[in-house]
Amino acid sequence: MYLVIVIALVIGILCSSLIVVAYFYRAEYQRKFRYDLLQNNLDSGINILLAAPDSLYTRQTTFSLFNKDADSITIQKSVWGIYNICAVESFIQKDTLFETFLTANSVDSAKWAIIYLADEDRPVSVSGKTTIKGNVFIPKAGIQSAYIDNKAYEGDKRIIIGEKHTSEKQLPGLDSVRIKLLDKNFALKGDSLTNKDSVSRSFLKNTKVFDFKGEEQTLEQIKLKGNIILHSDTTVTIDSTAALNHVLIFAKAIIVKEGFNGNCQLFATDSISVGKNCHFAYPSCLGIIRLNASKIVSQAKISLGENTAFNGLLFTYEKNPSDLKPMISLSKKDTIKGQIYSQDALALKDQVVIYGSVFTKRFVYRNSFTLYENYLINTTFNAKDLSPYYLASPVTPVASKKKKILQWLETN
Amino acid sequence: MAGNKLIVQAKVKASTILEVLISMIIIILVFGVAMMIYSNVTRLSLSVKKIHAQAVLQEMMRNIEQSKENISQSVVSGDFTIEQSVKSYNDNANLVGVSLTAYDDNHQEVAELRKVIIRRND
Repeated sequence: MYLVIVIALVIGILCSSLIVVAYFYRAEYQRKFRYDLLQNNLDSGINILLAAPDSLYTRQTTFSLFNKDADSITIQKSVWGIYNICAVESFIQKDTLFETFLTANSVDSAKWAIIYLADEDRPVSVSGKTTIKGNVFIPKAGIQSAYIDNKAYEGDKRIIIGEKHTSEKQLPGLDSVRIKLLDKNFALKGDSLTNKDSVSRSFLKNTKVFDFKGEEQTLEQIKLKGNIILHSDTTVTIDSTAALNHVLIFAKAIIVKEGFNGNCQLFATDSISVGKNCHFAYPSCLGIIRLNASKIVSQAKISLGENTAFNGLLFTYEKNPSDLKPMISLSKKDTIKGQIYSQDALALKDQVVIYGSVFTKRFVYRNSFTLYENYLINTTFNAKDLSPYYLASPVTPVASKKKKILQWLETN
Repeated sequence: MAGNKLIVQAKVKASTILEVLISMIIIILVFGVAMMIYSNVTRLSLSVKKIHAQAVLQEMMRNIEQSKENISQSVVSGDFTIEQSVKSYNDNANLVGVSLTAYDDNHQEVAELRKVIIRRND
């Protein structure tokens, strides 16, 4: 009697466990199938955004990919400083996959140059341990070696290891439409950033704007990450204890204290001053934008302290050239991986290393006694050591039309 | 010792022919419904063939994304016949809508994959 019950129980357990296994197996398989479908739709959305012109999908748009079942996506593209930010969501009922990423343009190799020096009818001179590897656009007057500060030229006999082209009298321009879009952010209004030590904002949500108004503020002991813009009508100081990740700052002047380490895009109308031993991760940007000539009272200047590493784009833009010419000033042992676009002068010091590209009207080198113009002394320019995955901002003249993914930001 | 004698004296209860017929019809109906459910489950549930077809389509889509020239065609891959349809997407010259459908030997649709890809020009 008992034996029959035990056998029935065992058979029952075996049968029910088989049914449970089959159920979970089937459920997991269907989940995987749904995941593949969502991932496929997500990839389609990414491709649509990469191929679309900047004017399309600036608002959140939801549509069916092929007008069939289970192929709905939501896509949006927006300007994020000098780059674009894209958000894609694919969903089937409650199941959703999303991805946010930064895009930039691949480099137009015909326009790319390690040095583009506008032709002001004077030659370039090199001295000391200067290396130039990559294609250059230089004035018709050419390039020559020189004896400066009791130092002769000690580099390669060819001086330029790459192709040599003749430059135009004017620098190729920055994208004025994008500059205007950036300039609009100097008029942003927002909430105050008080009593907060950490703010993180997803790129799937609306941008969070913090406004310091006319108060001089120092960012210290604070973590800011993601879809955040800081605005100030005066000076903003960034302490080395501040952690910035993909944040944009628009202010009259910006001071970055010694030892700062982060990833951000800083835009000012007057000046940006970076201290010693700072590190800006790719993709960062320091830019001076001056569209309104009537307000100009000082020189537009970006200066980097000694031993600072910068990855991204440094640029100055002045719509109406003034007497006080904009300048980008680098210090000893600075390393730039990316691009420098100086509308007028680029000041260099010993042992500056530039992997990427420099567009400028003139080089300036100052020692204790003398100011030299268009002299390259103990500087390394090397286009070949820049990462092959480097992408240029659409604001720069070397950007091709082809858009690529620069960085994945958020996913689930 | 002789075995027990079977003595049948009491009447054995039985069903009428009508009862037997009704019970048979009910059994057939229940069995029929059960078979329908079973065939439905087996058709919709996990099938090695379906998974295989899905993997073949994914692989093919990857190749199409890497390829410069893609045209609508029919390809035989292993046990499947794959219909490849390539059309421009939303009148965008840079985008292509690719649809892949795998059919088995009986020309039954096994798996389908659709994707929008970027036309390679370089």
